[in-house]
Amino acid sequence: MEAVSPYVVAEPVLDQIVDKYRDRPGMLLSTLEAVQEANPLKFLPVETLVQVSRKLSVPMTQVYSVATFYSFFNLKPQGRHNIVVCRGTACHTKGSRELLNSVGHILGFGCEPDEMEQGYTTPDNEFTIKTVACFGQCAQAPVIAVDGVIHSNVNAQKLIKILKKVKSS
Amino acid sequence: MKITIDNQQYLVPDGVTILEACRFAGISIPSLCYLKDVSSNASCGVCVVEVKGAKSLLRSCITKATDGMEITTNNQRIMQARKMNVELLLANHPLDCQTCERNLHCELQQVCYDFGITERRFPRTRKQAIPKDFSSLSLVRDPEKCILCGRCVAACSEIQTVKAIDFAGRGQKTRISTFMDMGLGLVACTNCGQCALVCPTGAITEKDAVNDVWKVIHDPKKVVLVQTAPAIRVGIGEAMGMPYGSLVTGKMVAGLRRLGFSKVFDTDFAADLTIMEEGNELIHRIQHKGTLPMITSCSPGWIKFIEHFFPKSLAHLSTCKSPQQMFGAIAKTYYAEQEGIDPRDIVVVSVMPCTAKKYEAQRPEMDGAFEYWKKKKKLSANDRFFDVDYVLTTRELSRMLKEAGIDFKALPEEDFDNPLGSSTGAAVIFGATGGVMEAALRTAYEVLTGEPLSDINLTAVRGMQGIREATININGNDVKVAVAHTLKNARILLEQIENGTSPYTFIEVMTCPGGCLGGGGQPIPTTAEIRKKRAEAIYAEDAHKIIRKSHQNPEVLYLYDYFLKKPLGELSHHLLHTKYVERFV
Repeated sequence: MEAVSPYVVAEPVLDQIVDKYRDRPGMLLSTLEAVQEANPLKFLPVETLVQVSRKLSVPMTQVYSVATFYSFFNLKPQGRHNIVVCRGTACHTKGSRELLNSVGHILGFGCEPDEMEQGYTTPDNEFTIKTVACFGQCAQAPVIAVDGVIHSNVNAQKLIKILKKVKSS
Repeated sequence: MKITIDNQQYLVPDGVTILEACRFAGISIPSLCYLKDVSSNASCGVCVVEVKGAKSLLRSCITKATDGMEITTNNQRIMQARKMNVELLLANHPLDCQTCERNLHCELQQVCYDFGITERRFPRTRKQAIPKDFSSLSLVRDPEKCILCGRCVAACSEIQTVKAIDFAGRGQKTRISTFMDMGLGLVACTNCGQCALVCPTGAITEKDAVNDVWKVIHDPKKVVLVQTAPAIRVGIGEAMGMPYGSLVTGKMVAGLRRLGFSKVFDTDFAADLTIMEEGNELIHRIQHKGTLPMITSCSPGWIKFIEHFFPKSLAHLSTCKSPQQMFGAIAKTYYAEQEGIDPRDIVVVSVMPCTAKKYEAQRPEMDGAFEYWKKKKKLSANDRFFDVDYVLTTRELSRMLKEAGIDFKALPEEDFDNPLGSSTGAAVIFGATGGVMEAALRTAYEVLTGEPLSDINLTAVRGMQGIREATININGNDVKVAVAHTLKNARILLEQIENGTSPYTFIEVMTCPGGCLGGGGQPIPTTAEIRKKRAEAIYAEDAHKIIRKSHQNPEVLYLYDYFLKKPLGELSHHLLHTKYVERFV
């Protein structure tokens, strides 16, 4: 399979990563993690999965199995900004469903709320929105994470502020 | 070791699991994910038992019995737990048993019945239905019927080392799937069907050709020839309610005739033909320093395996087509000519113990007869036909017999039609691991030395050991041969070849455990014990044959005299030999 996407991690970089983890315990997991990190769109394109499988001599099904098991791994391109809304029980009771919908409205996503629950990336690859079951910050519910920074006790006003900042960055 | 099961004391061997100990003691423990010799994932929770001193119920399939253990297999707590575990599986399992291929042969259905489950107690949790996978020419997967027991994954990775399928996703989205959910037809799957054989439900089944075959049988313009593989005569009886390993050659022929096939022929005829070609190919390679070891090419799962995983070694494969394909090519040329039938009106249906044969029949190069007639009859590309039109598994044939209302056990014994129904004992044993090797050596030895083997029964290559080897002295030279069944063992022999340490001249590989008699198209269940019984039946049939060497089959000799002229000749080259392709992994 020839590399077709411009967003595939270059072979020398991949080789370096693979050599670093080869024959170590958990080599597949560590390799996938590092390769995803090295990808400009923070995802694992099919070409990369095939290459990892060949270079580590791990069956392709197993690579796919691991890549689909952990929610950490993305098989689709991720947006430049990453928004995660907690949909755990505590956050839910504090209105995280509305919060999720608000994110869609504020950023003008043309998608259904259900799509956001499953994970949604805008066509221009600016934003990815996802949900998680719990951040473990239930005392400060509702909680969202924007580009890795956790914001607690989020309400509609706070959300507008946070997203404005993200949009302009 | 002494243990107590349900207040009875038993002596059981050391190291057995509780489940094995119970079965040893004659107590049946239900199980879904556990399958002897295949898998024990401990995922279904149907085999739980109570052990004195243990807080929770224990899964008997993975818990070892220990000395003095007190086990209860049957009380309110156990029964409720087992029932609930099955009810949870039912939440996402469609309740359409009547229209399922596995109706009346389904382990989930059986367990539900045994446990007295009369309603679906839990609502469905999976939000989106997972679509069926129709991409393969051999197998159909219906993930909706899957209970995630993992037996198929174990069969694919442990028995065959193919690893075409694995668990994918997590939680409600967990499914058995292929790389990128591409479908079996688009990944490195060998179509062996061992996954279908071990599946407790209807989640993996053969691609059904029954309706297509009925259609041609009932078409008065068509001459429908049926050929039956060696392993069908020891399998179809089981599917029709007879004991395991019943040898039912005569009844099978009678049954096929009752179904309405124009002629009932035998793949064994083509197996004898295969030996003539393959035996001579081996001799030719030995005498002309060709690529050795030569490896047999009868088993289409194996062919696809080597094409995917060891394409560098393809030169080791015999160029002979499998008996199924040789039969098709001969039926639509030689037989058509002899009988004066337009080859376009001939439909060849094969009954095979194999799902990979469905794929093999549709390989693009398998149209030798069409190529033969193309010039002679000025055929256009629109007239193109395959040598073999439809492939039925043993299971599909049993469904046809049932549909036609045939009382199989009461059928008389009938003989195959001539000329393509004539066969020898050497052909019958093609159905068992080691059989092709034995048949080839019976002929090759005699051709090379000019004298018959001292003992026609080459017991060294028989049996169920994964890899067997033998040394035969031919004209003062020791010839080393090996036999492997399952692709895991084939892989070992191939790795030897690729690193230059293979000591063999000739290797036989069969894809499935036990050879074709344990094929992916055979009746369910197929276990080690059942395979052994089928093998005994195969060798019994061989022992009772008057002619037991392929080169003495009178109809095959006639075929050479009047049509093919000589083994490895010009016509053989076009009709009976093939080529292979390199594939990706």
